Amino acid sequence: MSINNIKQSLFKLSQFQQHTKYAIHTTAACHKSQAGRYRITPKKDFPLTYEMANPPHQIAHRKSWNSWNTSSTEGGLRTSETAVEDMFIRKFMKGTWHGLFMSEIIIKRQHNMIRIAGIVLQSISSRKMYFLIGYTEELLSFWLQCPTKLELQTVSDKKDVVFKYI
Amino acid sequence: MSALARIFHKGLVRNIPKSITFYSVTAEKKDDDEFRVLNLKVTKGRSAQRRKPYKANILPPRTTQMPVDQDWGSVWPGPRTFHPATVPLPIRQGYVEKGASPDKYGNPELMKIPNFLHVTPPVVKRQCEALKKFCTPWPKTLDTDEKCEKFFPIEVTYSSYCHSSPTIRDPLARIVTLKMKLSSLKLDDHARDKFRRLIGDRYDEKTDTFTIVTDRCPTRKQNYEYAMYLLTAVYHESWAVEPWETLKSEADMEYYDWNNNASKKTVEQMFKKEAKDIENINEYITAVSSLMNEGESDYTVNNYGLAVRKLLNLPIENT
Repeated sequence: MSINNIKQSLFKLSQFQQHTKYAIHTTAACHKSQAGRYRITPKKDFPLTYEMANPPHQIAHRKSWNSWNTSSTEGGLRTSETAVEDMFIRKFMKGTWHGLFMSEIIIKRQHNMIRIAGIVLQSISSRKMYFLIGYTEELLSFWLQCPTKLELQTVSDKKDVVFKYI
Repeated sequence: MSALARIFHKGLVRNIPKSITFYSVTAEKKDDDEFRVLNLKVTKGRSAQRRKPYKANILPPRTTQMPVDQDWGSVWPGPRTFHPATVPLPIRQGYVEKGASPDKYGNPELMKIPNFLHVTPPVVKRQCEALKKFCTPWPKTLDTDEKCEKFFPIEVTYSSYCHSSPTIRDPLARIVTLKMKLSSLKLDDHARDKFRRLIGDRYDEKTDTFTIVTDRCPTRKQNYEYAMYLLTAVYHESWAVEPWETLKSEADMEYYDWNNNASKKTVEQMFKKEAKDIENINEYITAVSSLMNEGESDYTVNNYGLAVRKLLNLPIENT
């Protein structure tokens, strides 16, 4: 095998490697054109809340963020920790208040205080709701080691939060 | 006797399952207020009871009962998420292409944005009144900025950071900046020169201030103490005269000093007396020094010409 041959084969190999590198995605696909957008149904009876009716590019124009904290400011601390904790809180709330949250879960942080807000359906008795509030606050405060507060608003019907039908 | 025992035995046997069914029935017959019990042994054949939708007995919103002259500060004492039944304002938020914005009930946009309902002007006034007893009055004699600068010449600056996170530590909070006017230090010519050489580019000639920034220690207190130490050390070091400092010759001078230069000798030779006894000599000294230090320009050269004419008693040209 001459040196030229070796050169050529090496060149091909490197080309191949380049192609394979670009063919594999190691991060999740963003689906920018689809994320947060809803398709119109034939009967036009799919209910949308205000949050759902406005696609992500309307954040800061027509709707605001669901997480409020300082980790994204310049020199902000605990960026990743805050994001992961927020995700955990959302999952925990979705599971604990199963089928009750009519809005997105809003997480606002001030100093070490975490305030969780949202709109809840009045489909369970007030006794249960008080229990769930205490349970959630207690457990989240223990896990996150921060005082946690639940500030809820209730609606009697699912239709109360519907913004439009598509 | 034996028959009675048999009956009793029978009854016992019959009674046991009965009591079990009795308990299980009560478990199913719970009212809606209770949480459902997790039933792991699913018994087939009995269809699960369809739960009736819970209808809550909801009171009308609190805003309908609020008097007009209520004390808002006690209704909304602290920072809190917006609640439509507590805030008696017809607020709307949201964008609708045609028509009015969504109202306050069931509106998550209003819950997202931070509100300042807890810091209304009367509440701020009340809180300031409450805090007043902890404040001390401003010293009466320190009425002007000049006096403040004179009696408190050192200016220390640091930043505190408030993050929305459980930690109160911020690495940037450790940085301490110390500012001071050079003129407020007691220094002679030699010491001032040495001080300026020691602090280098931390000195700003325009404002006559020098700035010491310390950030090498982990806490603010340590950095503050280090800055004060640096100031003390540089001050005392600038007063110290090392033996090698006497070796400084004219070639080492960083600026033109008339008293050490040939110009003085020549003038003294010409007038045959001490420089300080010559008339109009001070004007001449400043003119020569500015010409040498600031460089040649129309202004300095003209000044120099005037000073020489005055010194030698020559007529001044009226140009």
